[in-house]
Amino acid sequence: MQEMKFDDRLTRPMPTSDPLRKQGDGDGPSKPDVKRPETRNILDRMKRVDPDQAKRYRQRSGQ
Amino acid sequence: MIGIETEYGIYVEGKGAQDLVAEATHLVKLYPGVAATGWNYKNEHPRRDMRGFTVDHLSIDPTDAQFEQTNRPHSTDVEVRSDRVLTSGARLYNDHGHPEFSTPECRTLQELIAQDRAGERVMQLCAEKRMSRMSEGGLVALYKNNTDYHGASYGTHESYLTGRGVPFEELLQSVLPFFVTRQIITGSGKIGMEQSGSGSEATGNFYQLSQRSDFFTTIASVDTLYNRPIVNTRDEPHTDPRKFRRLHVICGDANLCETSTFLKVGTTLLTLRLLEAGWRAKEMSLRDPVNAIKQISRDEKRKWIVDRLSGGTIGAVDIQRFYLAAARERFTGLSPDTDAVLTEWERVLNALESDWLSLADSLDWVAKYALLSEFREAEGLPWNDSTMRSLDLEYHNVDPEAGLYYGLEQEGRVRRIVTEEEIVAAMTTPPAASPRPVVRGIAVRKFAPSVSSVSWGEMTLNENGQSRVVRMTRVDDLDPTKLTETLSATTTPSSFFSSLEQLEREAGTDKIPVDENGGA
Repeated sequence: MQEMKFDDRLTRPMPTSDPLRKQGDGDGPSKPDVKRPETRNILDRMKRVDPDQAKRYRQRSGQ
Repeated sequence: MIGIETEYGIYVEGKGAQDLVAEATHLVKLYPGVAATGWNYKNEHPRRDMRGFTVDHLSIDPTDAQFEQTNRPHSTDVEVRSDRVLTSGARLYNDHGHPEFSTPECRTLQELIAQDRAGERVMQLCAEKRMSRMSEGGLVALYKNNTDYHGASYGTHESYLTGRGVPFEELLQSVLPFFVTRQIITGSGKIGMEQSGSGSEATGNFYQLSQRSDFFTTIASVDTLYNRPIVNTRDEPHTDPRKFRRLHVICGDANLCETSTFLKVGTTLLTLRLLEAGWRAKEMSLRDPVNAIKQISRDEKRKWIVDRLSGGTIGAVDIQRFYLAAARERFTGLSPDTDAVLTEWERVLNALESDWLSLADSLDWVAKYALLSEFREAEGLPWNDSTMRSLDLEYHNVDPEAGLYYGLEQEGRVRRIVTEEEIVAAMTTPPAASPRPVVRGIAVRKFAPSVSSVSWGEMTLNENGQSRVVRMTRVDDLDPTKLTETLSATTTPSSFFSSLEQLEREAGTDKIPVDENGGA
Protein backbone atom coordinates (compact mmCIF):
# COMPACT_ATOMS: atom_id res chain seq x y z
CA MET A 1 0.00 0.00 0.00
CA GLN A 2 1.20 3.46 -0.81
CA GLU A 3 1.86 5.91 1.94
CA MET A 4 -1.08 8.16 2.52
CA LYS A 5 -0.66 11.79 1.59
CA PHE A 6 -3.06 14.21 3.06
CA ASP A 7 -3.85 17.46 1.41
CA ASP A 8 -2.03 20.26 3.19
CA ARG A 9 -5.35 21.88 3.96
CA LEU A 10 -5.72 19.30 6.73
CA THR A 11 -2.72 20.62 8.57
CA ARG A 12 -2.66 24.27 7.63
CA PRO A 13 -2.56 26.65 10.58
CA MET A 14 -5.79 28.33 11.45
CA PRO A 15 -5.98 32.07 10.79
CA THR A 16 -5.60 34.09 13.95
CA SER A 17 -8.88 35.82 13.20
CA ASP A 18 -10.73 32.55 13.63
CA PRO A 19 -13.12 32.89 16.58
CA LEU A 20 -12.30 29.40 17.75
CA ARG A 21 -8.75 30.52 18.46
CA LYS A 22 -9.65 33.52 20.54
CA GLN A 23 -8.95 33.41 24.21
CA GLY A 24 -12.41 33.14 25.72
CA ASP A 25 -13.68 35.41 28.44
CA GLY A 26 -15.39 32.51 30.13
CA ASP A 27 -18.32 32.36 27.74
CA GLY A 28 -16.97 31.59 24.31
CA PRO A 29 -14.65 29.07 22.70
CA SER A 30 -11.14 29.07 24.03
CA LYS A 31 -7.72 28.30 22.65
CA PRO A 32 -7.19 25.00 20.84
CA ASP A 33 -5.09 22.24 22.30
CA VAL A 34 -3.34 20.77 19.30
CA LYS A 35 -1.17 17.77 20.03
CA ARG A 36 1.64 17.13 17.60
CA PRO A 37 2.26 13.80 15.89
CA GLU A 38 3.10 10.78 17.99
CA THR A 39 5.44 7.99 17.02
CA ARG A 40 2.84 5.96 15.13
CA ASN A 41 0.89 7.65 12.41
CA ILE A 42 -2.71 7.10 11.64
CA LEU A 43 -1.97 4.83 8.70
CA ASP A 44 -0.40 2.29 11.06
CA ARG A 45 -3.51 2.53 13.16
CA MET A 46 -5.74 1.89 10.13
CA LYS A 47 -3.67 -1.12 9.10
CA ARG A 48 -4.20 -2.67 12.52
CA VAL A 49 -8.01 -2.57 12.23
CA ASP A 50 -9.57 -6.01 11.99
CA PRO A 51 -11.35 -6.10 8.59
CA ASP A 52 -14.17 -8.18 10.08
CA GLN A 53 -14.80 -6.00 13.12
CA ALA A 54 -17.89 -4.34 11.60
CA LYS A 55 -19.35 -7.72 10.57
CA ARG A 56 -19.20 -8.88 14.17
CA TYR A 57 -20.52 -5.61 15.54
CA ARG A 58 -24.20 -6.10 16.42
CA GLN A 59 -26.08 -3.84 18.80
CA ARG A 60 -29.37 -3.56 20.59
CA SER A 61 -31.72 -0.99 19.13
CA GLY A 62 -31.52 2.06 21.36
CA GLN A 63 -33.29 5.37 21.47
CA MET B 1 -29.76 25.00 29.87
CA ILE B 2 -28.34 22.54 27.38
CA GLY B 3 -27.15 18.95 27.55
CA ILE B 4 -26.13 15.97 25.44
CA GLU B 5 -26.85 12.31 26.18
CA THR B 6 -24.99 9.64 24.22
CA GLU B 7 -25.75 5.95 24.04
CA TYR B 8 -22.43 4.28 23.25
CA GLY B 9 -22.04 1.23 21.07
CA ILE B 10 -20.44 -1.61 23.02
CA TYR B 11 -18.36 -4.51 21.76
CA VAL B 12 -17.28 -7.23 24.17
CA GLU B 13 -15.26 -10.02 22.68
CA GLY B 14 -17.17 -13.30 22.68
CA LYS B 15 -20.52 -11.66 23.45
CA GLY B 16 -23.52 -11.14 21.18
CA ALA B 17 -26.34 -8.61 21.05
CA GLN B 18 -28.37 -10.77 23.45
CA ASP B 19 -25.68 -10.21 26.10
CA LEU B 20 -25.39 -6.45 25.80
CA VAL B 21 -27.91 -5.46 28.48
CA ALA B 22 -25.91 -7.44 31.02
CA GLU B 23 -22.63 -6.16 29.60
CA ALA B 24 -23.71 -2.52 29.69
CA THR B 25 -24.90 -2.97 33.28
CA HIS B 26 -21.61 -4.59 34.23
CA LEU B 27 -19.67 -1.81 32.53
CA VAL B 28 -21.32 1.13 34.29
CA LYS B 29 -21.00 -0.62 37.65
CA LEU B 30 -17.24 -0.69 37.08
CA TYR B 31 -17.03 3.12 37.08
CA PRO B 32 -14.15 3.62 39.50
CA GLY B 33 -14.88 7.14 40.72
CA VAL B 34 -17.12 8.48 43.45
CA ALA B 35 -20.78 8.16 42.45
CA ALA B 36 -24.26 8.12 43.93
CA THR B 37 -26.97 5.61 43.07
CA GLY B 38 -30.74 5.67 43.49
CA TRP B 39 -31.97 7.32 40.30
CA ASN B 40 -35.65 8.16 40.76
CA TYR B 41 -37.59 6.95 37.73
CA LYS B 42 -40.86 8.23 39.18
CA ASN B 43 -39.81 11.65 37.94
CA GLU B 44 -39.49 10.51 34.31
CA HIS B 45 -42.40 10.58 31.86
CA PRO B 46 -41.24 9.43 28.42
CA ARG B 47 -44.81 8.70 27.22
CA ARG B 48 -46.04 12.25 27.85
CA ASP B 49 -46.48 14.14 24.57
CA MET B 50 -46.06 17.91 24.04
CA ARG B 51 -49.29 17.88 22.07
CA GLY B 52 -51.25 17.34 25.26
CA PHE B 53 -51.70 13.58 25.64
CA THR B 54 -49.93 10.54 27.05
CA VAL B 55 -49.55 7.39 24.98
CA ASP B 56 -50.17 3.92 26.44
CA HIS B 57 -46.90 2.49 25.21
CA LEU B 58 -43.88 3.32 23.08
CA SER B 59 -43.08 1.50 19.82
CA ILE B 60 -40.43 -1.22 20.06
CA ASP B 61 -38.20 -2.51 17.31
CA PRO B 62 -39.63 -6.02 16.55
CA THR B 63 -36.21 -7.40 15.65
CA ASP B 64 -34.79 -6.12 18.91
CA ALA B 65 -37.78 -7.40 20.89
CA GLN B 66 -36.56 -10.98 20.49
CA PHE B 67 -33.84 -10.22 22.99
CA GLU B 68 -36.46 -9.41 25.64
CA GLN B 69 -38.13 -12.84 25.33
CA THR B 70 -35.39 -15.00 26.71
CA ASN B 71 -35.97 -14.62 30.46
CA ARG B 72 -33.11 -12.20 30.61
CA PRO B 73 -33.38 -9.15 32.86
CA HIS B 74 -35.67 -6.54 31.39
CA SER B 75 -33.83 -3.44 30.30
CA THR B 76 -36.18 -1.14 32.20
CA ASP B 77 -35.42 -2.73 35.55
CA VAL B 78 -33.83 -0.21 37.95
CA GLU B 79 -31.07 -2.61 39.02
CA VAL B 80 -30.28 -3.47 35.40
CA ARG B 81 -30.09 0.19 34.47
CA SER B 82 -27.70 0.78 37.39
CA ASP B 83 -27.65 4.55 37.30
CA ARG B 84 -24.60 6.31 38.60
CA VAL B 85 -24.55 10.04 39.30
CA LEU B 86 -21.02 11.41 39.08
CA THR B 87 -19.34 14.24 40.95
CA SER B 88 -19.61 16.33 37.78
CA GLY B 89 -23.40 16.08 37.99
CA ALA B 90 -23.44 13.74 34.96
CA ARG B 91 -25.46 10.52 34.75
CA LEU B 92 -24.00 7.17 33.68
CA TYR B 93 -26.29 4.17 33.16
CA ASN B 94 -27.38 1.28 30.99
CA ASP B 95 -30.01 2.32 28.48
CA HIS B 96 -31.38 -0.57 26.40
CA GLY B 97 -28.06 -2.36 26.22
CA HIS B 98 -25.96 0.75 25.71
CA PRO B 99 -23.85 2.46 28.35
CA GLU B 100 -25.13 6.01 28.26
CA PHE B 101 -23.42 9.18 29.39
CA SER B 102 -25.66 12.18 30.00
CA THR B 103 -23.75 15.40 30.48
CA PRO B 104 -24.82 17.59 33.36
CA GLU B 105 -26.89 20.63 32.47
CA CYS B 106 -24.60 23.28 30.96
CA ARG B 107 -24.95 26.98 30.24
CA THR B 108 -22.06 27.55 27.84
CA LEU B 109 -20.89 25.71 24.74
CA GLN B 110 -17.37 25.47 26.13
CA GLU B 111 -18.63 23.67 29.22
CA LEU B 112 -20.88 21.39 27.21
CA ILE B 113 -18.14 20.29 24.82
CA ALA B 114 -15.77 19.58 27.73
CA GLN B 115 -18.46 17.53 29.48
CA ASP B 116 -19.43 15.66 26.31
CA ARG B 117 -15.83 14.73 25.65
CA ALA B 118 -15.34 13.81 29.31
CA GLY B 119 -18.03 11.21 28.67
CA GLU B 120 -15.70 9.54 26.14
CA ARG B 121 -12.98 9.29 28.79
CA VAL B 122 -15.37 7.96 31.44
CA MET B 123 -16.52 5.27 29.02
CA GLN B 124 -12.97 4.27 28.15
CA LEU B 125 -12.10 4.11 31.84
CA CYS B 126 -14.96 1.64 32.35
CA ALA B 127 -13.88 -0.37 29.29
CA GLU B 128 -10.35 -0.69 30.65
CA LYS B 129 -11.73 -1.87 34.01
CA ARG B 130 -13.82 -4.47 32.18
CA MET B 131 -10.85 -5.67 30.13
CA SER B 132 -8.72 -6.01 33.25
CA ARG B 133 -11.24 -8.59 34.47
CA MET B 134 -11.22 -10.64 31.27
CA SER B 135 -8.79 -13.32 30.23
CA GLU B 136 -5.65 -11.91 28.67
CA GLY B 137 -6.21 -10.22 25.34
CA GLY B 138 -9.99 -9.91 25.70
CA LEU B 139 -11.25 -6.79 23.96
CA VAL B 140 -13.90 -4.34 25.06
CA ALA B 141 -14.43 -1.42 22.70
CA LEU B 142 -16.82 1.49 23.05
CA TYR B 143 -18.00 3.48 20.06
CA LYS B 144 -19.39 7.00 20.05
CA ASN B 145 -21.60 6.40 17.03
CA ASN B 146 -25.23 5.66 16.20
CA THR B 147 -25.48 2.45 14.18
CA ASP B 148 -24.34 -1.16 13.97
CA TYR B 149 -24.66 -1.17 10.14
CA HIS B 150 -27.30 -3.90 10.52
CA GLY B 151 -30.40 -1.77 11.12
CA ALA B 152 -29.97 -1.12 14.86
CA SER B 153 -29.59 2.54 15.77
CA TYR B 154 -28.99 4.17 19.15
CA GLY B 155 -29.17 7.82 19.95
CA THR B 156 -27.25 10.93 20.74
CA HIS B 157 -29.84 13.32 22.07
CA GLU B 158 -29.64 17.02 22.77
CA SER B 159 -31.77 18.85 25.32
CA TYR B 160 -32.62 22.54 25.08
CA LEU B 161 -34.66 24.39 27.66
CA THR B 162 -36.92 26.66 25.66
CA GLY B 163 -39.96 28.81 26.36
CA ARG B 164 -43.38 27.15 26.48
CA GLY B 165 -44.83 30.25 24.83
CA VAL B 166 -44.16 29.09 21.26
CA PRO B 167 -47.15 26.99 20.14
CA PHE B 168 -45.94 23.48 19.37
CA GLU B 169 -47.25 23.36 15.80
CA GLU B 170 -45.42 26.61 15.02
CA LEU B 171 -42.25 25.31 16.63
CA LEU B 172 -42.53 22.08 14.63
CA GLN B 173 -43.04 23.87 11.32
CA SER B 174 -40.06 26.14 11.86
CA VAL B 175 -37.55 23.64 13.26
CA LEU B 176 -38.22 20.91 10.68
CA PRO B 177 -36.35 22.48 7.73
CA PHE B 178 -33.51 23.31 10.10
CA PHE B 179 -33.25 19.76 11.48
CA VAL B 180 -33.54 18.16 8.04
CA THR B 181 -30.66 20.25 6.68
CA ARG B 182 -28.28 20.71 9.64
CA GLN B 183 -26.76 17.28 8.93
CA ILE B 184 -24.56 18.94 6.30
CA ILE B 185 -22.75 20.35 9.36
CA THR B 186 -23.49 17.83 12.09
CA GLY B 187 -23.41 14.46 10.28
CA SER B 188 -20.80 11.92 11.31
CA GLY B 189 -20.77 10.01 8.03
CA LYS B 190 -21.56 6.39 7.20
CA ILE B 191 -20.83 3.85 4.48
CA GLY B 192 -24.01 2.52 2.86
CA MET B 193 -27.61 2.72 4.02
CA GLU B 194 -29.78 0.68 6.36
CA GLN B 195 -33.36 -0.30 6.97
CA SER B 196 -34.42 0.27 10.58
CA GLY B 197 -34.93 -3.01 12.41
CA SER B 198 -34.05 -5.15 9.38
CA GLY B 199 -31.19 -7.05 10.97
CA SER B 200 -29.62 -6.99 7.51
CA GLU B 201 -26.23 -5.57 6.65
CA ALA B 202 -26.11 -2.07 5.20
CA THR B 203 -26.21 -1.91 1.42
CA GLY B 204 -24.86 0.53 -1.14
CA ASN B 205 -21.39 1.33 -2.37
CA PHE B 206 -21.34 4.94 -1.21
CA TYR B 207 -20.73 7.26 1.72
CA GLN B 208 -23.54 9.31 3.21
CA LEU B 209 -23.47 12.31 5.54
CA SER B 210 -25.37 11.01 8.52
CA GLN B 211 -25.30 7.90 10.70
CA ARG B 212 -28.86 8.49 11.78
CA SER B 213 -30.91 9.78 8.84
CA ASP B 214 -31.82 6.30 7.56
CA PHE B 215 -33.81 5.72 10.73
CA PHE B 216 -36.47 8.44 10.61
CA THR B 217 -39.88 7.36 9.42
CA THR B 218 -42.18 10.14 10.60
CA ILE B 219 -42.17 13.89 11.23
CA ALA B 220 -43.20 14.12 14.88
CA SER B 221 -43.83 11.53 17.57
CA VAL B 222 -43.13 10.69 21.20
CA ASP B 223 -41.39 7.45 20.09
CA THR B 224 -37.64 7.05 20.15
CA LEU B 225 -36.95 3.29 19.92
CA TYR B 226 -38.77 2.57 16.64
CA ASN B 227 -40.75 4.55 14.09
CA ARG B 228 -38.42 7.36 15.04
CA PRO B 229 -39.49 10.94 14.36
CA ILE B 230 -37.41 13.86 13.15
CA VAL B 231 -38.92 15.91 15.99
CA ASN B 232 -39.46 14.07 19.27
CA THR B 233 -42.51 15.30 21.16
CA ARG B 234 -41.61 13.95 24.61
CA ASP B 235 -42.81 16.43 27.21
CA GLU B 236 -40.50 16.11 30.18
CA PRO B 237 -39.10 19.55 31.05
CA HIS B 238 -37.59 18.68 34.47
CA THR B 239 -38.52 22.21 35.53
CA ASP B 240 -41.57 24.46 35.61
CA PRO B 241 -43.77 23.00 32.83
CA ARG B 242 -45.89 26.15 32.64
CA LYS B 243 -42.90 28.21 31.53
CA PHE B 244 -40.62 25.77 29.74
CA ARG B 245 -40.29 22.93 27.32
CA ARG B 246 -37.22 20.72 27.09
CA LEU B 247 -36.84 20.17 23.37
CA HIS B 248 -35.46 16.63 23.22
CA VAL B 249 -33.68 16.43 19.88
CA ILE B 250 -33.08 12.87 18.67
CA CYS B 251 -32.18 13.48 15.01
CA GLY B 252 -28.52 14.32 15.61
CA ASP B 253 -25.41 12.19 15.17
CA ALA B 254 -22.78 11.51 17.82
CA ASN B 255 -19.93 13.90 17.18
CA LEU B 256 -16.25 13.65 17.98
CA CYS B 257 -15.14 16.81 16.16
CA GLU B 258 -15.55 19.65 18.62
CA THR B 259 -16.50 22.08 15.86
CA SER B 260 -19.39 19.76 14.88
CA THR B 261 -20.68 19.75 18.46
CA PHE B 262 -20.13 23.50 18.79
CA LEU B 263 -22.22 24.18 15.69
CA LYS B 264 -24.79 21.43 16.29
CA VAL B 265 -25.74 22.90 19.64
CA GLY B 266 -24.93 26.55 18.92
CA THR B 267 -27.01 26.83 15.75
CA THR B 268 -29.92 24.94 17.31
CA LEU B 269 -29.84 27.24 20.32
CA LEU B 270 -29.96 30.31 18.07
CA THR B 271 -32.83 28.84 16.06
CA LEU B 272 -34.84 28.27 19.23
CA ARG B 273 -34.08 31.80 20.43
CA LEU B 274 -35.40 33.07 17.08
CA LEU B 275 -38.65 31.21 17.61
CA GLU B 276 -38.97 32.51 21.17
CA ALA B 277 -38.56 36.02 19.72
CA GLY B 278 -41.51 35.46 17.39
CA TRP B 279 -39.59 34.70 14.18
CA ARG B 280 -40.94 31.87 11.99
CA ALA B 281 -39.60 29.93 8.99
CA LYS B 282 -42.88 29.08 7.25
CA GLU B 283 -41.48 29.80 3.77
CA MET B 284 -38.81 27.13 4.25
CA SER B 285 -41.34 24.29 4.64
CA LEU B 286 -40.39 21.13 2.73
CA ARG B 287 -42.71 18.96 0.65
CA ASP B 288 -41.56 15.70 2.28
CA PRO B 289 -39.23 16.17 5.28
CA VAL B 290 -38.86 12.43 5.98
CA ASN B 291 -37.72 11.77 2.43
CA ALA B 292 -35.61 14.94 2.36
CA ILE B 293 -33.54 13.99 5.42
CA LYS B 294 -32.51 10.76 3.67
CA GLN B 295 -32.11 12.42 0.27
CA ILE B 296 -29.69 15.01 1.62
CA SER B 297 -27.69 12.47 3.57
CA ARG B 298 -27.31 10.14 0.57
CA ASP B 299 -26.58 12.76 -2.12
CA GLU B 300 -23.15 11.81 -3.44
CA LYS B 301 -22.95 14.99 -5.54
CA ARG B 302 -23.14 17.00 -2.28
CA LYS B 303 -25.63 19.45 -3.83
CA TRP B 304 -28.33 18.63 -1.26
CA ILE B 305 -31.32 19.89 -3.28
CA VAL B 306 -34.81 19.21 -1.89
CA ASP B 307 -38.42 20.02 -2.85
CA ARG B 308 -40.19 22.95 -1.21
CA LEU B 309 -43.80 22.75 -0.05
CA SER B 310 -44.52 25.94 -1.98
CA GLY B 311 -43.11 24.46 -5.19
CA GLY B 312 -39.65 24.41 -6.72
CA THR B 313 -36.47 23.26 -5.05
CA ILE B 314 -33.90 24.65 -2.64
CA GLY B 315 -30.45 23.63 -1.43
CA ALA B 316 -29.71 22.63 2.15
CA VAL B 317 -27.01 25.30 2.36
CA ASP B 318 -29.54 27.98 1.35
CA ILE B 319 -31.97 26.80 4.00
CA GLN B 320 -29.23 27.00 6.61
CA ARG B 321 -28.30 30.45 5.33
CA PHE B 322 -31.91 31.57 5.85
CA TYR B 323 -31.68 30.67 9.54
CA LEU B 324 -28.18 32.16 9.81
CA ALA B 325 -29.31 35.48 8.30
CA ALA B 326 -32.19 35.78 10.76
CA ALA B 327 -29.94 34.95 13.70
CA ARG B 328 -27.23 37.34 12.53
CA GLU B 329 -29.73 40.17 12.17
CA ARG B 330 -31.13 39.74 15.65
CA PHE B 331 -28.34 38.33 17.79
CA THR B 332 -25.02 39.79 16.60
CA GLY B 333 -23.16 41.17 19.61
CA LEU B 334 -25.35 39.40 22.15
CA SER B 335 -22.46 37.41 23.63
CA PRO B 336 -19.02 36.05 22.67
CA ASP B 337 -20.55 32.57 22.29
CA THR B 338 -23.26 33.91 19.97
CA ASP B 339 -20.81 35.80 17.78
CA ALA B 340 -18.50 32.80 17.59
CA VAL B 341 -21.37 30.57 16.47
CA LEU B 342 -22.53 33.08 13.84
CA THR B 343 -19.02 33.47 12.44
CA GLU B 344 -18.31 29.76 12.40
CA TRP B 345 -21.73 28.91 10.94
CA GLU B 346 -21.03 31.24 8.01
CA ARG B 347 -17.49 29.96 7.50
CA VAL B 348 -18.69 26.39 7.32
CA LEU B 349 -21.60 27.12 4.97
CA ASN B 350 -19.28 29.02 2.64
CA ALA B 351 -16.85 26.12 2.59
CA LEU B 352 -19.60 23.56 2.02
CA GLU B 353 -20.46 25.40 -1.18
CA SER B 354 -16.96 26.15 -2.42
CA ASP B 355 -14.65 23.37 -1.16
CA TRP B 356 -16.28 21.03 1.32
CA LEU B 357 -13.15 18.87 1.65
CA SER B 358 -11.47 21.86 3.28
CA LEU B 359 -13.66 21.11 6.30
CA ALA B 360 -11.81 17.87 7.06
CA ASP B 361 -10.34 19.65 10.09
CA SER B 362 -13.78 20.72 11.36
CA LEU B 363 -16.66 18.34 10.64
CA ASP B 364 -16.91 14.62 11.36
CA TRP B 365 -18.47 13.55 8.06
CA VAL B 366 -15.75 15.33 6.09
CA ALA B 367 -12.88 14.25 8.37
CA LYS B 368 -13.92 10.61 8.09
CA TYR B 369 -14.57 10.88 4.36
CA ALA B 370 -11.10 12.32 3.74
CA LEU B 371 -9.40 9.70 5.90
CA LEU B 372 -11.27 6.73 4.44
CA SER B 373 -11.05 8.00 0.84
CA GLU B 374 -7.27 8.16 0.94
CA PHE B 375 -7.12 4.59 2.22
CA ARG B 376 -9.76 3.31 -0.21
CA GLU B 377 -8.04 4.83 -3.22
CA ALA B 378 -4.62 3.60 -2.13
CA GLU B 379 -5.92 0.08 -1.61
CA GLY B 380 -8.31 0.03 -4.55
CA LEU B 381 -11.24 -0.94 -2.34
CA PRO B 382 -14.93 -0.22 -2.90
CA TRP B 383 -16.76 1.72 -0.20
CA ASN B 384 -18.76 -1.38 0.76
CA ASP B 385 -15.71 -3.58 1.39
CA SER B 386 -15.76 -5.06 4.89
CA THR B 387 -12.43 -3.39 5.67
CA MET B 388 -13.86 0.02 4.82
CA ARG B 389 -16.88 -0.52 7.06
CA SER B 390 -14.60 -1.60 9.90
CA LEU B 391 -12.54 1.56 9.42
CA ASP B 392 -15.80 3.54 9.49
CA LEU B 393 -16.60 1.91 12.83
CA GLU B 394 -13.12 2.46 14.26
CA TYR B 395 -13.31 6.20 13.57
CA HIS B 396 -15.72 6.26 16.53
CA ASN B 397 -13.70 4.07 18.94
CA VAL B 398 -13.07 6.14 22.09
CA ASP B 399 -9.84 4.33 22.96
CA PRO B 400 -7.22 7.05 22.37
CA GLU B 401 -4.76 4.34 21.28
CA ALA B 402 -7.10 2.82 18.68
CA GLY B 403 -9.77 5.28 17.56
CA LEU B 404 -9.23 6.88 14.16
CA TYR B 405 -10.71 10.22 15.20
CA TYR B 406 -8.30 10.20 18.13
CA GLY B 407 -5.51 9.48 15.66
CA LEU B 408 -6.43 12.58 13.68
CA GLU B 409 -6.58 14.60 16.87
CA GLN B 410 -3.18 13.40 18.03
CA GLU B 411 -1.66 14.34 14.69
CA GLY B 412 -3.08 17.87 14.98
CA ARG B 413 -5.41 17.47 12.04
CA VAL B 414 -8.63 18.65 13.69
CA ARG B 415 -9.51 21.96 15.28
CA ARG B 416 -9.93 22.01 19.01
CA ILE B 417 -12.20 24.11 21.18
CA VAL B 418 -11.46 22.68 24.63
CA THR B 419 -8.14 21.69 26.15
CA GLU B 420 -7.14 18.27 27.39
CA GLU B 421 -7.02 19.75 30.89
CA GLU B 422 -10.62 20.97 30.60
CA ILE B 423 -11.77 17.53 29.48
CA VAL B 424 -10.01 15.72 32.31
CA ALA B 425 -11.36 18.22 34.84
CA ALA B 426 -14.88 17.74 33.49
CA MET B 427 -14.74 14.03 34.31
CA THR B 428 -15.11 14.87 38.01
CA THR B 429 -15.98 18.57 38.22
CA PRO B 430 -19.34 20.23 37.51
CA PRO B 431 -19.59 22.95 34.87
CA ALA B 432 -18.76 26.04 36.91
CA ALA B 433 -21.46 28.26 35.42
CA SER B 434 -24.35 25.83 35.99
CA PRO B 435 -26.03 25.85 39.42
CA ARG B 436 -27.85 22.51 39.20
CA PRO B 437 -24.82 20.29 38.54
CA VAL B 438 -22.75 22.32 41.01
CA VAL B 439 -25.23 21.42 43.77
CA ARG B 440 -25.69 17.82 42.58
CA GLY B 441 -21.98 17.25 42.03
CA ILE B 442 -20.86 18.64 45.38
CA ALA B 443 -23.51 16.59 47.19
CA VAL B 444 -22.27 13.44 45.46
CA ARG B 445 -18.61 14.24 46.05
CA LYS B 446 -19.08 14.92 49.75
CA PHE B 447 -22.06 12.81 50.76
CA ALA B 448 -22.62 10.07 48.17
CA PRO B 449 -23.62 7.40 50.75
CA SER B 450 -26.33 9.76 52.03
CA VAL B 451 -27.93 10.30 48.62
CA SER B 452 -31.04 8.12 48.59
CA SER B 453 -32.76 9.45 45.49
CA VAL B 454 -31.79 11.65 42.59
CA SER B 455 -33.26 12.89 39.32
CA TRP B 456 -32.71 15.89 37.07
CA GLY B 457 -35.18 17.94 39.09
CA GLU B 458 -34.34 17.00 42.67
CA MET B 459 -32.23 14.93 45.01
CA THR B 460 -32.81 13.49 48.47
CA LEU B 461 -30.20 13.11 51.19
CA ASN B 462 -30.64 11.11 54.38
CA GLU B 463 -29.00 11.77 57.71
CA ASN B 464 -29.84 10.14 61.01
CA GLY B 465 -33.09 8.80 59.59
CA GLN B 466 -34.19 12.20 58.32
CA SER B 467 -34.71 12.84 54.58
CA ARG B 468 -34.36 16.27 53.01
CA VAL B 469 -34.93 17.18 49.39
CA VAL B 470 -33.03 19.62 47.15
CA ARG B 471 -35.43 21.20 44.65
CA MET B 472 -33.48 22.19 41.56
CA THR B 473 -36.00 24.83 40.48
CA ARG B 474 -34.98 26.74 43.63
CA VAL B 475 -31.33 26.43 42.67
CA ASP B 476 -31.49 27.58 39.04
CA ASP B 477 -31.11 31.30 39.77
CA LEU B 478 -28.44 31.06 42.45
CA ASP B 479 -24.88 32.27 41.84
CA PRO B 480 -22.86 29.14 40.89
CA THR B 481 -19.61 30.57 42.23
CA LYS B 482 -21.14 31.29 45.59
CA LEU B 483 -22.77 27.86 45.59
CA THR B 484 -19.42 26.21 44.95
CA GLU B 485 -17.65 28.14 47.68
CA THR B 486 -20.39 27.67 50.27
CA LEU B 487 -21.36 24.05 49.67
CA SER B 488 -17.76 22.86 49.31
CA ALA B 489 -17.15 24.02 52.89
CA THR B 490 -19.97 21.95 54.38
CA THR B 491 -19.12 18.82 56.37
CA THR B 492 -22.45 17.05 56.87
CA PRO B 493 -25.70 16.69 54.91
CA SER B 494 -27.35 18.88 57.53
CA SER B 495 -24.85 21.69 57.08
CA PHE B 496 -25.14 21.26 53.30
CA PHE B 497 -28.91 21.82 53.52
CA SER B 498 -28.61 24.67 55.99
CA SER B 499 -26.14 26.46 53.73
CA LEU B 500 -28.19 25.85 50.61
CA GLU B 501 -31.41 27.01 52.26
CA GLN B 502 -29.67 30.15 53.45
CA LEU B 503 -28.61 30.93 49.88
CA GLU B 504 -32.16 30.24 48.65
CA ARG B 505 -33.61 32.58 51.29
CA GLU B 506 -31.15 35.33 50.36
CA ALA B 507 -32.11 34.97 46.68
CA GLY B 508 -35.83 34.60 47.44
CA THR B 509 -36.01 31.30 45.57
CA ASP B 510 -37.13 29.41 48.68
CA LYS B 511 -40.65 30.62 47.96
CA ILE B 512 -40.83 28.83 44.60
CA PRO B 513 -43.46 26.10 44.94
CA VAL B 514 -42.50 22.66 43.67
CA ASP B 515 -44.11 19.35 42.82
CA GLU B 516 -42.72 15.84 42.75
CA ASN B 517 -41.51 16.27 39.16
CA GLY B 518 -39.11 19.01 40.07
CA GLY B 519 -41.40 21.55 38.47
CA ALA B 520 -43.34 24.40 39.97
